[in-house]
Formats: sequence, C-alpha cells, structure tokens
Amino acid sequence: MTDTNAVLGYATPLIVSPGEEIAFRLSSAVLGRAEARIVRVRCADPDPAGPGIRVAAPGSAIDGTVPLRHQPIHPGSFGIVADPQGLDGLASLSVGVFLWPTTPGSGEQTILSRWSGAAGWRFGLDGQGRLCFEVADGARRWIVTASRPLLEREWVFVGAVLDGASATLTLIQRSLDPQAGRDRSETITASGPARLPDTPSAPLLLAATSTGRDSPPTDRHLDGKLDRPRLHAVALDEAPLRALVEAVVPAPGDPDLLAAWDFSRGIPTDVAEDVGPRRQHATLHQLPARAMTGANWDGRTQSWREAPWLYGAIHFHADDMADCGWTPDLTLTIPTVWRSGYYSLELTAEHRGERVESHVPFFIRPARDGHREPLAVVASTATYLAYANSALRLDQVHAEAMLEGLIVLSRDDVYLQAHRELGLSTYDTHADGSGWCTSTAARPILNMRPRGNVFNYGADSLLLDWLETEGIGFDVVTDEDIHRQGLSALAPYRCVITASHPEYVSKEMLDAFDAYQRGGGRHMYLGGNGFYWRIAFHPTRPHTIEIRRGAVGLRTWEGEPGEGCLAFTGEPSGLWRANGRAPQRLVGVGFDAQVFDRSGWYHRLPDSFDPRVAFIFEGVGAEERIGDFGLRGGGAAGIEVDRADATLGSPPALMLLATCDRLGYGGIPAPEELRTLHRGFTGDQNARVRADMTFFPTAKGGAVFTTGSIAWVSALPHNGGANNVARITGNVLRRFLDPAPFKGFEDRA
Amino acid sequence: MLVNDPQAAHYKIDPSRINLAREFRAAPKGPHSDELQRVLHRMRWSAPGGRYVLVALEPGRRWMLARIPPTRGTPIETFPNRVFTDLAEAEWHVFRLRWRELTGDDLPDDLA
Ligand SMILES: [Fe+2]
Repeated sequence: MTDTNAVLGYATPLIVSPGEEIAFRLSSAVLGRAEARIVRVRCADPDPAGPGIRVAAPGSAIDGTVPLRHQPIHPGSFGIVADPQGLDGLASLSVGVFLWPTTPGSGEQTILSRWSGAAGWRFGLDGQGRLCFEVADGARRWIVTASRPLLEREWVFVGAVLDGASATLTLIQRSLDPQAGRDRSETITASGPARLPDTPSAPLLLAATSTGRDSPPTDRHLDGKLDRPRLHAVALDEAPLRALVEAVVPAPGDPDLLAAWDFSRGIPTDVAEDVGPRRQHATLHQLPARAMTGANWDGRTQSWREAPWLYGAIHFHADDMADCGWTPDLTLTIPTVWRSGYYSLELTAEHRGERVESHVPFFIRPARDGHREPLAVVASTATYLAYANSALRLDQVHAEAMLEGLIVLSRDDVYLQAHRELGLSTYDTHADGSGWCTSTAARPILNMRPRGNVFNYGADSLLLDWLETEGIGFDVVTDEDIHRQGLSALAPYRCVITASHPEYVSKEMLDAFDAYQRGGGRHMYLGGNGFYWRIAFHPTRPHTIEIRRGAVGLRTWEGEPGEGCLAFTGEPSGLWRANGRAPQRLVGVGFDAQVFDRSGWYHRLPDSFDPRVAFIFEGVGAEERIGDFGLRGGGAAGIEVDRADATLGSPPALMLLATCDRLGYGGIPAPEELRTLHRGFTGDQNARVRADMTFFPTAKGGAVFTTGSIAWVSALPHNGGANNVARITGNVLRRFLDPAPFKGFEDRA
Repeated sequence: MLVNDPQAAHYKIDPSRINLAREFRAAPKGPHSDELQRVLHRMRWSAPGGRYVLVALEPGRRWMLARIPPTRGTPIETFPNRVFTDLAEAEWHVFRLRWRELTGDDLPDDLA
C-alpha cells in the first residue's frame, strides 16, 4: 500500500511559464525529509487494468532530499481591522447587527470582538447558541447571556451595549419574523464594568476572536451571515441602535460612530468597507461568501448588481479555507526547454514500513514564443478546482445510491475524512450545510494529482498516455489561461481537445472556444457533461473559481434564493443552459444523463456512412459495436452522457454519427431534462438517455467532433490501444490536424 | 434550500424473499429485477454516518471493509480483518450485514 499523504503540498503558481519561478510549499507532520524530483505526468491512474502510473523525470535543480516541517492550516473566515481607532478610553460601547446564524449550539462563536490576553470584549454566541456579550479587564469578567438559543437560519436583530454610567451590560435580540414559534425576542441586562477595558494593541475582529497566539491566531469562528454591523461609542437604546443598523448609509458626521461596515460595497474584493467617519475597513481572510442576501432582501431582484443594498451580508464559515499561507520549501526556475504539460513534484519516503509517494501538481504552459505543436490538450483546471478535495462520497446521502455499489475510498479519502482543514470542493457543503461556492489552489488538492481519484485528472491522463503512445505531439493549455488570454490561448493550434469532463466554464472561456471554432479551428470534445456550469475566476486571486448552484441542474447542494449571482463578477451563475448558451450550441451535444451501473457502446447511424465523414470510420465495420469495453463501467459510453438536441442549439449541419441509446435502467436523466413528472424516464424506456457521437463543420473550414461520454477516454487503453475507440479518436485527430479545410457541407444547412 | 433526507428510502424488505439475496449474489452488478432494485436502494440510501464502505489497499486488487463515522473530522472506522480481493465478495458481505440490520434476520450461509 502506498501512503499518498504523509507529506502534502501545493505549488505557487499552479500554472507556470518556462523561465518563470515556481515555489513548492510543503508540510509533513510525520516525516523529517523526503526525496523530491520533478516529473512530467503521462498516466496518473494507478488502475492495474490500465497503463498504470507513468511519469518521466526530466532532471531538475531541486531533485534530491528535501527537509520537511509541519505547517499547520487554520480554517475559518473572518474580517480584521489590525489597528482599530477610537476604541480605547471609552466608557460605553454599542454593537448592533443583523445576524443569520447557521450552527447555533455547535460551540462558541463570535460576531465582533476585540480581545488581547485576559482583557477585551466579545459579542457572539455561547456554546448553546445563546447570544452573549462578555467583557473582561484582566482581573474581572462580566457576561450577559440570552435566555434561549437563537433559531438556525432566521434573521434576528442583535445588539450589545456596555453602559459605563450605569455599569451594565445589555443584550437585545429581536426576531425579524416573530410569529408561529419563531420569536426569540428579548432584552436582558446584567451588571458590567464602569468603562470599556483598554486593549491598545488588540485587533478588532469580525466573525472570530483573536487568540493572541500564532497557531491558531483566531478561534470561536462564526457560521452564518452578518448584515450591516455597527459599532458606536455611546450606550444606545434599542431604537437608535436599530435605526443605525437599518440605515444602509448612516447619517454622516457622527463622531461617535466607530464603524459602520457596508458589505455590499466592493463585493468582489477582500475589503469590508466602513462607511462611517473613521473608515475602519476590515480585511477579509479565507474568502467568506459575499453577495449574500441581507435581512432586507425581498425578492425584487436576483442580482446584487441591480440592488446592492439588498446584498449587505457576508456568510462566514468556521471551515472556510482559501489559502493555507505556507512558506515555500523549494523553488525552481522552470527550464525554458521543458515542454508544456501536466507536471508534479514527486515526494517519496518511507513511513511506518510503507512507501510514501505524494505528488504536488502543477502545469507548465507553452513558452510564449517557443515551438508549438499543432495539437493542444486542454487541462480542465476549472473543473479540477471545482472538484478539489471532494468529500461527496464521505458526506452525501445519495452517494452510494448514485454510484450503484459500495463506495471505494482511496487513502486520500481516508485522510480527508480526518483532515477537513484542507477545505472541500464546490460539490460539498460546509459544516453548516451551505454549499462551498469557491475553490482555490492555495492548499493541497488530493484529487488533482497522480494516484488521486480516477475522475477528471486521472481520466484525462489516459488521453495524455494514449497520445504519447501514438507518438502524437501536443501542448497542454489550461482552462485558466483560456479564461485570461481568450482566443489567443487557442488560436495557435490546428486542433484542440477537451477531455473527459470540461464541466466548469467561465464566459471568457466559452467565448474563446466559440471564437476558435468560428475561426476555422478543430475541436474534439471527448467527454461528457461538458460546458455545463457557469463559473467565474477571481479577478485578481490566481487559481480561484466561484460557482453558484441554484434550484436548476444536477446539484449536490442548493443555494439560497437570490444568491445565484457570482460575487467575483456579478454575472449570473448556474447552468449555461439557463444562460442562453446550452452546450449543444457550442459542441452539438449537452448533458442528459448519469449512468454509473454500467457503461454502454455506440452503434453507427445513417449519417456515419456519408462519404464526407468516411475518414472517421476507416477500419470500423458497419455493424461493429463501438466501445463495448473500457476502464469505467466496461464501456465507452457512460458515467455522464450528452445528447444532441436542435431545440437546445445543436446546429442544422450536425451529423449524428453513432449513439449509445440503450443504457438500461441505470441511465437517470439530469433534473433539467424532465419538464413534467411521469414514469418511464430511465434509460431502459427513454431514448433521450443516450450518448451521441457527432460531427459538424464550422466556419472557415473548421469542425467539431464529439463523443458525449465521460467514459470515452478511459476506453482508449483497452487491448493495448488496439480498439475501435482509439481508432476513431486517431482517425478524427489525424484529419483534424490536416490543414485542408472541411468543405462541401452546404446541403446540411 | 432543499436537502436530501436520509430517512426518505422507506421500502420495506421482505425477509422471506431469499430469492432476491440469491439474485444479488449471482450478479452484484446487475442488471437486477425491479424488486431487487428496490431492496438495494433501501440499503444504499442512508445517512453517511454508519455507512459501510471499502478502503482500497491496492487499487483494483485489495480492499478493506470500513465505516464512515457520524461526524466530520473523525477518522474512518476500519476493519483490518475484513480484507477482500474480489469486489463481488465485498458487496455480498455488506449485503448480508445490511439484510440483518434491516430485517432482523440472518441470511442462510448456503444460498445455493
Ligand atoms: Fe461533474
């Protein structure tokens, strides 16, 4: 058994140019050193039924022994004002905010705090989910606690007041919807200090409390939303405090207003703006969710761009993790002669009598002015990020029913179960049940590397291995480069392959593929459920994506109403199909069903005998079963499959070459494929549950070929590559690399 | 926010239908009869906590029985004495465990 996680790491940047420097940030809690070497990844899938792990070491300046140390991870998002002003020498203090708690009772939590050593104050929840306000001066501690826990996912106005003149602490909570058992309103007063303790060096924290230590620097993180937090230097009564919180823009010129944060400003940024006179902006850490509906959201819009004042909430999670912040252990300048591709820093060692082999993945992009191969394989890095550290098989009710058999965990899954601090994927929910909207590469990603789970990265590497075996040269271009460089990232290539599952696509990426096709490019889409979800990359942070899942689409969680637009850009998220650009429009086919019990095979259709596409089927018989073999479900058509549909945008010129339309009862249609409820929707009865192999010509002599199945590339290695899936793939690829334009399809318009 | 309900699968397994167990034993990957599909859905739909799973000891070759704990962050419970070299045997073992949990009856050792 191979230990794949005794040492972990991540590379910055994840995607690097030849001649550029890359840093590897590593950590091990158990190893003092490991042997390191750079490898170019050819096959990442250890399945003994396939080619097995295949890597090549080009030799690098950092190959050799690397000393290791433990670098901790501190999850939990929060906001910090490092050097707050106006908070020392005060007799009184008032805090007010709208709160939407999501895990009251899970442990102590913080709304706002300023704490240093044994002195300070904290407004938050106690371990039972009751509102509390505690103040300590180093010698004495005062606390006031509400009588009942707050309700989960219900807005409540909360206030905490220290009145030095009366030496009291007062808590105010008013449920915004007080009927039918939801009312938790109350006001409670207890004795307090005669003044606010001074903690001159202490930071002011939103949604966490400072520990004063290095590790962890914060604790008592909040799960839930805060909307319009206010901090005031006077002991306010409930009415003026409530009015201060209600006001989106507080009246100007109040010298006692210490802070009035407006989270609806600068939504794509890491800054929480204070619109009060002191401008005490907070810096947000670990990417809390912004563009969240506030207590005042009333359904008039779904877009924070249209009415930002209704989106004044931030959803903080105690398990948010966007950047581990580790220190580099190794740095390397990428030699300019290295080819583009999937690479890894391979770390090997022995631990407890086991071999350790752990990979830190990265990608090298083609040199800007260097040699280009005529073929580019797209590394679906947006999709890899969307799936990064997926705990779906550990956490989700439907997992085993969907997968149609006992769940097989890898060593990395076992590690992830115990180490949630790595941060999960956009398939997962936070501990409070809300979905993970963002994913980054500034953390170890267990399933985007050799020996990781076979989905996505591992499957795509089977295509890389097949290309190497066939001696076909290729460059690797990443989703993120396509997003940032647009058409320029694709234009140098005669043919572009998107592999097993290019599911997550930004508008910039979609536009680039569209322009590439319209410019005469050749696009082979050898996967399934591609071009499905609309995402954004963060405008400034590298390797960071955002997704919102609404009430449409195959969704492992469902976002809250009104929260369907992306904080990074303001664009609507959700399915591309619901955004006017169904995948059928770009690649001819689009997602229709999942099938995990067994994969099927294609049979040829009349269009496949058209002489203009004879090149595709050279060496393939008329009645031959195409792909009745493969590493995923025993067939080339499976896992997730796509179909053509003119009503969704498949072009008139599309030729339906072959189909797998007998997927059995295990073929379950995607939710958006069912308009009405009826039986007979599974693959044994429903011809719309199928994988379509298609071809169509595009402008300027270009063309598109699709297989509509995630399982396709996993059939390539069958029988040492001597099989009809590999033959068809090779036939299409050779013709697509031939610059001769595709012509003579006028009759198909 | 719609969430999946672990209790939603409520098909009642008839402990006298040993023939369905026999059918599963013969073809764990299916295709299965309508009734066996219902039995399997009942067995597979649950809260993850307490769910039997396998841990791959050697990918594609050896698997160990394990169970997912009820809370995140706590280690997987493993059964090092239950190692399988055949996925069909592992499926059958867990099928028997679940049959007993859901019906209160042990399946006979010999189903031939
Ligand atoms: Fe997917």
